[in-house]
Amino acid sequence: MSGSDNAVETRGRMIDRVLPPLIILCVVLAGWQGAVRLLDVPPWLLPAPTDVVDRLVKTSNLWYHTGLTVLEALAGFAVSAVLGVLLSAGIVHSRFLERGVFPYIIVSNAIPVVAILPLLTIWFGFGIAPKIMICTIISFFPVVTNTTRGLKAADRRVLEFMHSINATPWTIFYKVQLPSALPFIFAGFKIAASLALVGAVVAEFYSSDRGLGYLVITSATQLRTDLLFVSIVILAALGVILFSVFGQLERLVTRGEDAEKAK
Amino acid sequence: MTAAPDCIVLEDVALRYRTERGVIDALTGIDLTVAEGEFIALLGPTGCGKSSLLRLVSDLVAPTAGRVVVRGQPALAARRANEFGFVFQEPALLSWRTALGNVQLPLEVMNTPAAERVARCEQLLQSVGLLKFKDNYPHEMSGGMRQRVAIVRALAWKPSILLMDEPFSALDELTKSQLQDDLLDLWNAERKTVLFVTHNISEAVYLADRVVVMSPHPGRIKAVLPVKLPRPRTEALRETSEFLAHVREARDMLRS
Repeated sequence: MSGSDNAVETRGRMIDRVLPPLIILCVVLAGWQGAVRLLDVPPWLLPAPTDVVDRLVKTSNLWYHTGLTVLEALAGFAVSAVLGVLLSAGIVHSRFLERGVFPYIIVSNAIPVVAILPLLTIWFGFGIAPKIMICTIISFFPVVTNTTRGLKAADRRVLEFMHSINATPWTIFYKVQLPSALPFIFAGFKIAASLALVGAVVAEFYSSDRGLGYLVITSATQLRTDLLFVSIVILAALGVILFSVFGQLERLVTRGEDAEKAK
Repeated sequence: MTAAPDCIVLEDVALRYRTERGVIDALTGIDLTVAEGEFIALLGPTGCGKSSLLRLVSDLVAPTAGRVVVRGQPALAARRANEFGFVFQEPALLSWRTALGNVQLPLEVMNTPAAERVARCEQLLQSVGLLKFKDNYPHEMSGGMRQRVAIVRALAWKPSILLMDEPFSALDELTKSQLQDDLLDLWNAERKTVLFVTHNISEAVYLADRVVVMSPHPGRIKAVLPVKLPRPRTEALRETSEFLAHVREARDMLRS
Protein backbone atom coordinates (compact mmCIF):
# COMPACT_ATOMS: atom_id res chain seq x y z
CA MET A 1 0.00 0.00 0.00
CA SER A 2 1.40 3.41 -0.90
CA GLY A 3 1.84 6.25 1.55
CA SER A 4 -0.89 8.45 0.07
CA ASP A 5 -3.44 5.61 0.24
CA ASN A 6 -2.55 5.22 3.87
CA ALA A 7 -3.04 8.91 4.53
CA VAL A 8 -6.43 8.86 2.82
CA GLU A 9 -7.49 5.90 4.89
CA THR A 10 -6.35 7.53 8.15
CA ARG A 11 -8.23 10.68 7.24
CA GLY A 12 -11.32 8.62 6.42
CA ARG A 13 -11.17 6.92 9.80
CA MET A 14 -10.71 10.28 11.53
CA ILE A 15 -13.86 11.61 9.86
CA ASP A 16 -15.73 8.45 10.84
CA ARG A 17 -14.73 8.97 14.44
CA VAL A 18 -15.18 12.72 14.72
CA LEU A 19 -18.28 13.26 12.65
CA PRO A 20 -20.97 11.43 14.69
CA PRO A 21 -20.26 13.18 18.02
CA LEU A 22 -19.98 16.49 16.16
CA ILE A 23 -23.42 16.05 14.61
CA ILE A 24 -24.93 15.14 17.97
CA LEU A 25 -23.33 18.21 19.54
CA CYS A 26 -24.75 20.50 16.85
CA VAL A 27 -28.23 19.02 17.23
CA VAL A 28 -28.16 19.46 21.02
CA LEU A 29 -26.85 23.03 20.78
CA ALA A 30 -29.43 23.96 18.17
CA GLY A 31 -32.23 22.46 20.27
CA TRP A 32 -30.97 24.28 23.34
CA GLN A 33 -30.72 27.60 21.48
CA GLY A 34 -34.18 27.17 19.95
CA ALA A 35 -35.79 26.19 23.23
CA VAL A 36 -34.30 29.15 25.12
CA ARG A 37 -35.41 31.62 22.46
CA LEU A 38 -38.86 30.09 21.85
CA LEU A 39 -39.78 29.61 25.52
CA ASP A 40 -38.11 32.88 26.50
CA VAL A 41 -36.12 31.26 29.33
CA PRO A 42 -34.51 33.94 31.55
CA PRO A 43 -30.68 33.94 31.15
CA TRP A 44 -30.04 33.41 34.89
CA LEU A 45 -31.89 30.10 34.63
CA LEU A 46 -30.47 28.89 31.34
CA PRO A 47 -28.44 31.10 29.02
CA ALA A 48 -28.48 30.28 25.32
CA PRO A 49 -25.30 28.79 23.81
CA THR A 50 -24.70 32.07 21.98
CA ASP A 51 -24.86 33.93 25.31
CA VAL A 52 -22.27 31.55 26.72
CA VAL A 53 -19.97 32.06 23.74
CA ASP A 54 -20.50 35.79 24.05
CA ARG A 55 -19.50 35.68 27.71
CA LEU A 56 -16.50 33.49 26.92
CA VAL A 57 -15.20 36.07 24.47
CA LYS A 58 -15.96 39.08 26.66
CA THR A 59 -14.59 37.91 30.01
CA SER A 60 -11.14 39.43 29.98
CA ASN A 61 -9.56 37.78 33.01
CA LEU A 62 -10.75 34.29 32.08
CA TRP A 63 -7.34 33.11 30.95
CA TYR A 64 -5.77 34.30 34.18
CA HIS A 65 -8.18 32.15 36.21
CA THR A 66 -7.73 29.20 33.87
CA GLY A 67 -3.96 29.48 33.92
CA LEU A 68 -3.89 29.54 37.69
CA THR A 69 -6.04 26.43 38.02
CA VAL A 70 -4.00 24.58 35.42
CA LEU A 71 -0.79 25.63 37.18
CA GLU A 72 -2.06 24.29 40.53
CA ALA A 73 -3.25 21.03 39.00
CA LEU A 74 -0.08 20.41 37.00
CA ALA A 75 2.24 21.36 39.86
CA GLY A 76 0.36 19.06 42.23
CA PHE A 77 0.32 16.31 39.66
CA ALA A 78 4.05 16.70 38.96
CA VAL A 79 4.87 16.40 42.65
CA SER A 80 2.78 13.26 43.05
CA ALA A 81 4.18 11.77 39.83
CA VAL A 82 7.76 12.17 41.03
CA LEU A 83 7.10 11.17 44.64
CA GLY A 84 4.75 8.37 43.63
CA VAL A 85 7.17 6.74 41.21
CA LEU A 86 10.01 7.05 43.73
CA LEU A 87 7.91 5.55 46.51
CA SER A 88 6.82 2.69 44.24
CA ALA A 89 10.45 1.99 43.39
CA GLY A 90 11.12 1.75 47.12
CA ILE A 91 8.08 -0.43 47.68
CA VAL A 92 9.07 -3.06 45.11
CA HIS A 93 12.58 -3.25 46.50
CA SER A 94 11.72 -3.42 50.17
CA ARG A 95 9.20 -5.70 51.81
CA PHE A 96 9.36 -3.50 54.88
CA LEU A 97 8.30 -0.42 52.93
CA GLU A 98 5.56 -2.31 51.14
CA ARG A 99 4.08 -3.67 54.36
CA GLY A 100 4.68 -0.47 56.29
CA VAL A 101 3.54 2.18 53.82
CA PHE A 102 0.75 0.61 51.81
CA PRO A 103 -1.89 0.70 54.57
CA TYR A 104 -1.34 4.44 54.94
CA ILE A 105 -1.56 5.01 51.21
CA ILE A 106 -4.94 3.30 51.30
CA VAL A 107 -6.01 5.38 54.31
CA SER A 108 -4.89 8.58 52.58
CA ASN A 109 -7.06 7.63 49.64
CA ALA A 110 -10.02 6.93 51.92
CA ILE A 111 -10.01 10.40 53.51
CA PRO A 112 -12.03 12.84 51.39
CA VAL A 113 -9.75 15.71 50.39
CA VAL A 114 -12.52 18.16 51.24
CA ALA A 115 -11.97 17.22 54.88
CA ILE A 116 -8.25 17.98 54.72
CA LEU A 117 -8.71 21.38 53.07
CA PRO A 118 -9.49 23.41 56.21
CA LEU A 119 -6.46 21.96 57.95
CA LEU A 120 -4.14 22.82 55.08
CA THR A 121 -5.63 26.31 54.97
CA ILE A 122 -4.90 26.81 58.68
CA TRP A 123 -1.34 25.66 58.16
CA PHE A 124 -0.47 27.22 54.82
CA GLY A 125 -2.93 30.06 54.35
CA PHE A 126 -4.99 31.09 51.36
CA GLY A 127 -2.22 31.04 48.75
CA ILE A 128 -1.38 28.57 46.06
CA ALA A 129 0.54 26.13 48.30
CA PRO A 130 -2.39 24.32 49.96
CA LYS A 131 -4.10 23.97 46.56
CA ILE A 132 -1.06 22.28 45.07
CA MET A 133 -0.94 19.98 48.09
CA ILE A 134 -4.55 18.98 47.60
CA CYS A 135 -3.81 18.19 43.95
CA THR A 136 -0.85 16.09 45.05
CA ILE A 137 -2.83 14.21 47.68
CA ILE A 138 -5.73 13.44 45.39
CA SER A 139 -3.57 12.26 42.50
CA PHE A 140 -1.02 10.31 44.55
CA PHE A 141 -2.95 7.07 44.94
CA PRO A 142 -3.42 6.12 41.27
CA VAL A 143 0.24 6.92 40.58
CA VAL A 144 1.53 4.70 43.39
CA THR A 145 -0.81 1.77 42.83
CA ASN A 146 -0.32 1.69 39.06
CA THR A 147 3.44 2.18 39.19
CA THR A 148 3.85 -0.49 41.85
CA ARG A 149 1.78 -2.91 39.84
CA GLY A 150 3.77 -2.08 36.72
CA LEU A 151 7.15 -2.51 38.39
CA LYS A 152 6.05 -5.88 39.70
CA ALA A 153 4.83 -6.97 36.28
CA ALA A 154 8.36 -7.31 34.88
CA ASP A 155 8.99 -10.73 33.34
CA ARG A 156 10.33 -13.05 36.05
CA ARG A 157 12.67 -14.79 33.62
CA VAL A 158 14.16 -11.55 32.38
CA LEU A 159 14.87 -10.70 36.02
CA GLU A 160 16.49 -14.11 36.51
CA PHE A 161 18.56 -13.55 33.40
CA MET A 162 19.69 -10.20 34.75
CA HIS A 163 20.64 -11.80 38.07
CA SER A 164 22.56 -14.55 36.29
CA ILE A 165 24.75 -11.88 34.66
CA ASN A 166 25.31 -9.94 37.90
CA ALA A 167 23.25 -6.90 37.00
CA THR A 168 22.97 -4.51 39.94
CA PRO A 169 19.51 -3.71 41.36
CA TRP A 170 19.79 -0.22 39.87
CA THR A 171 20.62 -1.58 36.41
CA ILE A 172 17.73 -4.02 36.62
CA PHE A 173 15.46 -1.18 37.67
CA TYR A 174 16.17 1.19 34.82
CA LYS A 175 16.81 -1.35 32.09
CA VAL A 176 13.98 -3.80 32.83
CA GLN A 177 11.53 -2.87 35.55
CA LEU A 178 10.96 0.79 34.71
CA PRO A 179 10.52 0.34 30.94
CA SER A 180 8.14 -2.58 31.42
CA ALA A 181 6.16 -0.50 33.93
CA LEU A 182 5.74 2.48 31.59
CA PRO A 183 2.32 1.47 30.21
CA PHE A 184 1.05 1.09 33.78
CA ILE A 185 2.66 4.34 34.87
CA PHE A 186 1.04 6.31 32.07
CA ALA A 187 -2.32 4.70 32.73
CA GLY A 188 -1.89 5.94 36.31
CA PHE A 189 -0.82 9.40 35.13
CA LYS A 190 -3.92 9.67 32.97
CA ILE A 191 -6.20 9.15 35.95
CA ALA A 192 -4.01 11.21 38.28
CA ALA A 193 -3.92 14.27 36.01
CA SER A 194 -7.73 14.36 35.77
CA LEU A 195 -8.01 13.99 39.53
CA ALA A 196 -5.51 16.80 40.08
CA LEU A 197 -7.75 19.12 38.09
CA VAL A 198 -10.70 18.16 40.29
CA GLY A 199 -8.51 18.78 43.34
CA ALA A 200 -7.56 22.26 42.18
CA VAL A 201 -11.18 23.29 41.59
CA VAL A 202 -12.38 21.88 44.91
CA ALA A 203 -9.55 23.63 46.75
CA GLU A 204 -10.49 26.91 45.10
CA PHE A 205 -14.12 26.44 46.14
CA TYR A 206 -13.10 26.43 49.73
CA SER A 207 -10.68 29.31 49.96
CA SER A 208 -9.70 31.40 47.03
CA ASP A 209 -10.21 34.68 45.30
CA ARG A 210 -9.01 33.43 41.93
CA GLY A 211 -9.00 30.37 39.70
CA LEU A 212 -11.75 28.50 37.88
CA GLY A 213 -13.12 27.04 41.13
CA TYR A 214 -13.53 30.57 42.51
CA LEU A 215 -15.16 31.62 39.25
CA VAL A 216 -17.68 28.77 39.51
CA ILE A 217 -18.60 29.64 43.09
CA THR A 218 -18.90 33.42 42.59
CA SER A 219 -20.79 33.20 39.33
CA ALA A 220 -23.24 30.78 40.97
CA THR A 221 -23.84 32.97 44.02
CA GLN A 222 -24.31 36.03 41.82
CA LEU A 223 -26.58 34.09 39.45
CA ARG A 224 -24.27 34.84 36.54
CA THR A 225 -25.24 31.58 34.93
CA ASP A 226 -23.57 32.37 31.61
CA LEU A 227 -20.22 32.71 33.37
CA LEU A 228 -20.90 29.48 35.24
CA PHE A 229 -21.39 27.72 31.93
CA VAL A 230 -18.20 29.26 30.58
CA SER A 231 -16.27 27.89 33.58
CA ILE A 232 -17.79 24.45 33.13
CA VAL A 233 -16.96 24.38 29.43
CA ILE A 234 -13.36 25.35 30.11
CA LEU A 235 -13.03 22.72 32.83
CA ALA A 236 -14.47 20.08 30.53
CA ALA A 237 -12.04 21.09 27.80
CA LEU A 238 -9.09 20.96 30.23
CA GLY A 239 -10.13 17.53 31.45
CA VAL A 240 -10.40 16.20 27.92
CA ILE A 241 -7.04 17.69 26.93
CA LEU A 242 -5.24 16.20 29.95
CA PHE A 243 -6.86 12.83 29.46
CA SER A 244 -6.06 12.64 25.77
CA VAL A 245 -2.46 13.85 26.18
CA PHE A 246 -1.72 11.13 28.69
CA GLY A 247 -3.83 8.65 26.75
CA GLN A 248 -1.69 9.37 23.71
CA LEU A 249 1.51 8.90 25.73
CA GLU A 250 0.15 5.67 27.13
CA ARG A 251 -0.64 4.40 23.64
CA LEU A 252 2.86 5.34 22.53
CA VAL A 253 4.54 3.25 25.22
CA THR A 254 2.11 0.33 24.95
CA ARG A 255 2.33 -0.09 21.20
CA GLY A 256 4.72 -3.03 21.31
CA GLU A 257 2.88 -4.88 24.06
CA ASP A 258 -0.49 -4.52 22.36
CA ALA A 259 0.86 -5.98 19.17
CA GLU A 260 2.33 -8.87 21.13
CA LYS A 261 -0.93 -9.60 22.90
CA ALA A 262 -2.80 -9.52 19.62
CA LYS A 263 -0.71 -12.45 18.40
CA MET B 1 36.00 -40.30 26.24
CA THR B 2 39.21 -38.55 27.22
CA ALA B 3 39.33 -37.31 30.76
CA ALA B 4 38.37 -33.65 30.59
CA PRO B 5 38.71 -31.64 33.81
CA ASP B 6 35.63 -31.23 35.95
CA CYS B 7 33.54 -28.17 35.21
CA ILE B 8 30.53 -28.48 37.46
CA VAL B 9 30.40 -30.68 40.55
CA LEU B 10 27.31 -31.16 42.68
CA GLU B 11 27.91 -32.97 45.96
CA ASP B 12 24.90 -34.36 47.79
CA VAL B 13 22.91 -31.24 46.95
CA ALA B 14 19.43 -30.70 48.31
CA LEU B 15 16.99 -27.87 47.77
CA ARG B 16 14.01 -27.39 50.01
CA TYR B 17 11.37 -24.69 49.65
CA ARG B 18 9.21 -23.52 52.49
CA THR B 19 5.80 -22.51 51.24
CA GLU B 20 2.55 -21.73 53.00
CA ARG B 21 1.39 -25.28 52.42
CA GLY B 22 4.49 -26.77 53.98
CA VAL B 23 7.92 -27.93 52.97
CA ILE B 24 8.66 -28.99 49.42
CA ASP B 25 11.75 -31.02 48.63
CA ALA B 26 12.60 -29.79 45.16
CA LEU B 27 15.81 -31.78 45.03
CA THR B 28 17.50 -34.35 47.28
CA GLY B 29 20.81 -36.16 47.16
CA ILE B 30 22.00 -34.79 43.85
CA ASP B 31 25.47 -36.01 42.95
CA LEU B 32 26.63 -35.04 39.51
CA THR B 33 29.94 -34.25 37.90
CA VAL B 34 29.95 -32.49 34.56
CA ALA B 35 33.17 -32.46 32.55
CA GLU B 36 34.51 -29.39 30.79
CA GLY B 37 32.85 -29.09 27.38
CA GLU B 38 30.33 -31.82 28.08
CA PHE B 39 26.75 -31.67 26.81
CA ILE B 40 24.38 -32.88 29.52
CA ALA B 41 20.65 -33.32 29.09
CA LEU B 42 18.51 -33.26 32.21
CA LEU B 43 15.47 -35.35 31.39
CA GLY B 44 12.40 -35.79 33.51
CA PRO B 45 8.72 -35.04 33.99
CA THR B 46 7.38 -31.73 35.25
CA GLY B 47 8.16 -31.08 38.90
CA CYS B 48 11.32 -33.19 39.10
CA GLY B 49 13.47 -30.16 39.87
CA LYS B 50 15.30 -29.95 36.54
CA SER B 51 14.91 -26.19 36.37
CA SER B 52 15.84 -25.81 40.03
CA LEU B 53 19.05 -27.62 39.24
CA LEU B 54 19.97 -24.94 36.70
CA ARG B 55 19.20 -22.23 39.22
CA LEU B 56 21.41 -23.96 41.77
CA VAL B 57 24.32 -24.28 39.36
CA SER B 58 24.08 -20.61 38.41
CA ASP B 59 23.75 -19.47 42.03
CA LEU B 60 20.29 -17.97 41.52
CA VAL B 61 19.24 -20.08 44.50
CA ALA B 62 21.45 -21.51 47.21
CA PRO B 63 21.27 -25.21 48.11
CA THR B 64 19.81 -26.08 51.52
CA ALA B 65 22.40 -28.85 51.79
CA GLY B 66 25.48 -29.96 49.89
CA ARG B 67 27.86 -28.07 47.69
CA VAL B 68 27.80 -26.67 44.17
CA VAL B 69 31.30 -26.25 42.79
CA VAL B 70 32.12 -24.70 39.44
CA ARG B 71 35.75 -25.06 38.34
CA GLY B 72 36.89 -25.65 41.89
CA GLN B 73 35.10 -22.61 43.30
CA PRO B 74 31.63 -21.89 44.69
CA ALA B 75 28.97 -21.21 42.05
CA LEU B 76 28.85 -17.58 43.19
CA ALA B 77 32.38 -16.99 41.91
CA ALA B 78 31.44 -18.35 38.49
CA ARG B 79 28.37 -16.15 38.36
CA ARG B 80 30.46 -13.12 39.31
CA ALA B 81 32.77 -14.02 36.43
CA ASN B 82 29.76 -14.12 34.07
CA GLU B 83 30.32 -17.75 33.12
CA PHE B 84 26.62 -18.61 32.73
CA GLY B 85 24.47 -18.01 29.68
CA PHE B 86 20.80 -18.64 30.47
CA VAL B 87 18.11 -19.54 27.93
CA PHE B 88 14.51 -20.14 28.98
CA GLN B 89 11.51 -21.88 27.50
CA GLU B 90 10.03 -18.51 26.59
CA PRO B 91 12.34 -16.12 24.79
CA ALA B 92 11.87 -13.59 27.63
CA LEU B 93 12.93 -10.70 25.41
CA LEU B 94 12.34 -7.06 26.20
CA SER B 95 9.36 -6.04 24.06
CA TRP B 96 10.54 -2.43 23.76
CA ARG B 97 13.92 -3.38 22.34
CA THR B 98 14.75 -4.54 18.83
CA ALA B 99 16.45 -7.87 18.16
CA LEU B 100 19.80 -6.08 18.16
CA GLY B 101 18.91 -4.18 21.35
CA ASN B 102 17.97 -7.39 23.10
CA VAL B 103 21.20 -9.13 22.19
CA GLN B 104 23.13 -6.08 23.37
CA LEU B 105 21.50 -6.04 26.79
CA PRO B 106 24.03 -8.26 28.61
CA LEU B 107 26.95 -6.41 27.04
CA GLU B 108 25.47 -3.12 28.21
CA VAL B 109 25.22 -4.53 31.71
CA MET B 110 28.87 -5.53 31.46
CA ASN B 111 29.88 -2.09 30.13
CA THR B 112 31.25 -3.23 26.80
CA PRO B 113 32.08 -0.23 24.58
CA ALA B 114 29.24 0.57 22.17
CA ALA B 115 31.08 -0.01 18.91
CA GLU B 116 32.40 -3.38 20.00
CA ARG B 117 28.97 -4.28 21.34
CA VAL B 118 27.17 -3.58 18.08
CA ALA B 119 29.78 -5.37 15.99
CA ARG B 120 29.67 -8.45 18.19
CA CYS B 121 25.88 -8.59 18.29
CA GLU B 122 25.46 -8.07 14.55
CA GLN B 123 27.89 -10.91 13.99
CA LEU B 124 25.88 -13.11 16.37
CA LEU B 125 22.60 -12.29 14.62
CA GLN B 126 24.31 -13.03 11.31
CA SER B 127 25.31 -16.45 12.62
CA VAL B 128 21.66 -17.39 13.20
CA GLY B 129 20.47 -15.76 9.97
CA LEU B 130 18.70 -12.84 11.64
CA LEU B 131 20.91 -9.93 10.66
CA LYS B 132 18.29 -8.49 8.34
CA PHE B 133 15.79 -8.60 11.19
CA LYS B 134 18.05 -6.78 13.63
CA ASP B 135 15.74 -3.75 13.79
CA ASN B 136 12.59 -5.82 14.30
CA TYR B 137 10.81 -5.86 17.62
CA PRO B 138 9.97 -9.20 19.25
CA HIS B 139 6.31 -8.96 18.24
CA GLU B 140 7.43 -8.62 14.63
CA MET B 141 9.24 -11.97 14.70
CA SER B 142 8.13 -15.60 14.75
CA GLY B 143 8.52 -17.79 17.84
CA GLY B 144 11.57 -19.52 16.34
CA MET B 145 13.22 -16.22 15.50
CA ARG B 146 12.61 -14.89 18.98
CA GLN B 147 14.15 -17.99 20.53
CA ARG B 148 17.19 -17.59 18.28
CA VAL B 149 17.56 -14.05 19.54
CA ALA B 150 17.30 -15.33 23.12
CA ILE B 151 20.00 -17.90 22.43
CA VAL B 152 22.47 -15.47 20.91
CA ARG B 153 21.69 -13.06 23.76
CA ALA B 154 23.02 -15.77 26.07
CA LEU B 155 26.16 -16.07 23.93
CA ALA B 156 26.91 -12.36 23.56
CA TRP B 157 29.62 -12.14 26.22
CA LYS B 158 31.02 -15.62 25.40
CA PRO B 159 30.09 -17.39 28.62
CA SER B 160 31.68 -20.81 28.98
CA ILE B 161 28.61 -22.56 30.40
CA LEU B 162 25.19 -22.62 28.73
CA LEU B 163 22.16 -23.31 30.90
CA MET B 164 19.11 -24.06 28.80
CA ASP B 165 15.70 -24.58 30.39
CA GLU B 166 13.48 -26.38 27.84
CA PRO B 167 14.49 -23.82 25.21
CA PHE B 168 12.80 -25.55 22.27
CA SER B 169 9.70 -27.04 23.87
CA ALA B 170 7.38 -24.22 22.77
CA LEU B 171 8.45 -24.46 19.11
CA ASP B 172 6.95 -26.41 16.23
CA GLU B 173 8.73 -29.63 15.14
CA LEU B 174 10.45 -28.16 12.10
CA THR B 175 11.84 -25.12 13.90
CA LYS B 176 12.78 -27.30 16.83
CA SER B 177 14.95 -29.70 14.84
CA GLN B 178 16.51 -26.79 12.97
CA LEU B 179 17.46 -25.09 16.23
CA GLN B 180 18.73 -28.38 17.67
CA ASP B 181 21.12 -28.71 14.74
CA ASP B 182 22.16 -25.07 15.08
CA LEU B 183 22.89 -25.65 18.73
CA LEU B 184 25.00 -28.73 17.97
CA ASP B 185 26.96 -26.77 15.34
CA LEU B 186 27.61 -24.06 17.86
CA TRP B 187 28.63 -26.56 20.51
CA ASN B 188 30.95 -28.33 18.04
CA ALA B 189 32.63 -25.04 17.23
CA GLU B 190 33.01 -23.68 20.75
CA ARG B 191 32.74 -26.68 23.08
CA LYS B 192 30.91 -24.90 25.82
CA THR B 193 29.67 -26.90 28.75
CA VAL B 194 25.92 -27.27 28.31
CA LEU B 195 23.20 -28.21 30.78
CA PHE B 196 20.06 -28.72 28.73
CA VAL B 197 16.75 -29.30 30.51
CA THR B 198 14.07 -31.10 28.53
CA HIS B 199 11.15 -33.48 28.91
CA ASN B 200 11.55 -34.69 25.35
CA ILE B 201 13.37 -38.04 25.30
CA SER B 202 14.55 -38.02 21.69
CA GLU B 203 15.71 -34.43 22.01
CA ALA B 204 17.82 -35.41 25.01
CA VAL B 205 19.37 -38.38 23.22
CA TYR B 206 19.96 -36.45 20.01
CA LEU B 207 21.84 -33.63 21.70
CA ALA B 208 23.63 -34.93 24.76
CA ASP B 209 26.78 -36.78 25.73
CA ARG B 210 24.97 -38.03 28.79
CA VAL B 211 21.30 -38.02 29.66
CA VAL B 212 20.59 -37.50 33.34
CA VAL B 213 17.21 -39.06 34.05
CA MET B 214 15.35 -37.48 36.96
CA SER B 215 12.21 -38.30 38.88
CA PRO B 216 9.92 -36.15 40.99
CA HIS B 217 8.68 -36.02 44.63
CA PRO B 218 11.33 -35.45 45.78
CA GLY B 219 13.39 -34.45 42.75
CA ARG B 220 16.36 -36.77 42.38
CA ILE B 221 18.63 -38.37 39.82
CA LYS B 222 17.33 -41.77 38.86
CA ALA B 223 19.92 -42.89 36.36
CA VAL B 224 22.52 -41.56 33.97
CA LEU B 225 22.55 -42.78 30.39
CA PRO B 226 25.77 -42.25 28.41
CA VAL B 227 24.88 -41.62 24.77
CA LYS B 228 27.31 -43.58 22.62
CA LEU B 229 26.27 -42.08 19.32
CA PRO B 230 28.83 -40.65 16.90
CA ARG B 231 29.22 -36.95 16.33
CA PRO B 232 28.56 -34.81 14.42
CA ARG B 233 24.93 -35.87 14.64
CA THR B 234 22.52 -35.22 11.80
CA GLU B 235 18.86 -35.80 11.01
CA ALA B 236 19.65 -39.22 9.52
CA LEU B 237 20.73 -40.42 12.95
CA ARG B 238 17.17 -40.26 14.24
CA GLU B 239 16.18 -43.20 12.02
CA THR B 240 19.00 -45.50 13.11
CA SER B 241 18.46 -48.46 15.40
CA GLU B 242 21.17 -47.27 17.83
CA PHE B 243 19.36 -43.99 18.28
CA LEU B 244 16.04 -45.73 18.87
CA ALA B 245 17.70 -48.13 21.27
CA HIS B 246 18.97 -45.18 23.31
CA VAL B 247 15.55 -43.58 23.27
CA ARG B 248 14.00 -46.84 24.46
CA GLU B 249 16.54 -47.19 27.22
CA ALA B 250 15.95 -43.64 28.40
CA ARG B 251 12.19 -44.21 28.38
CA ASP B 252 12.59 -47.39 30.42
CA MET B 253 14.71 -45.47 32.94
CA LEU B 254 12.02 -42.80 33.20
CA ARG B 255 9.30 -45.36 33.77
CA SER B 256 11.04 -47.74 36.13
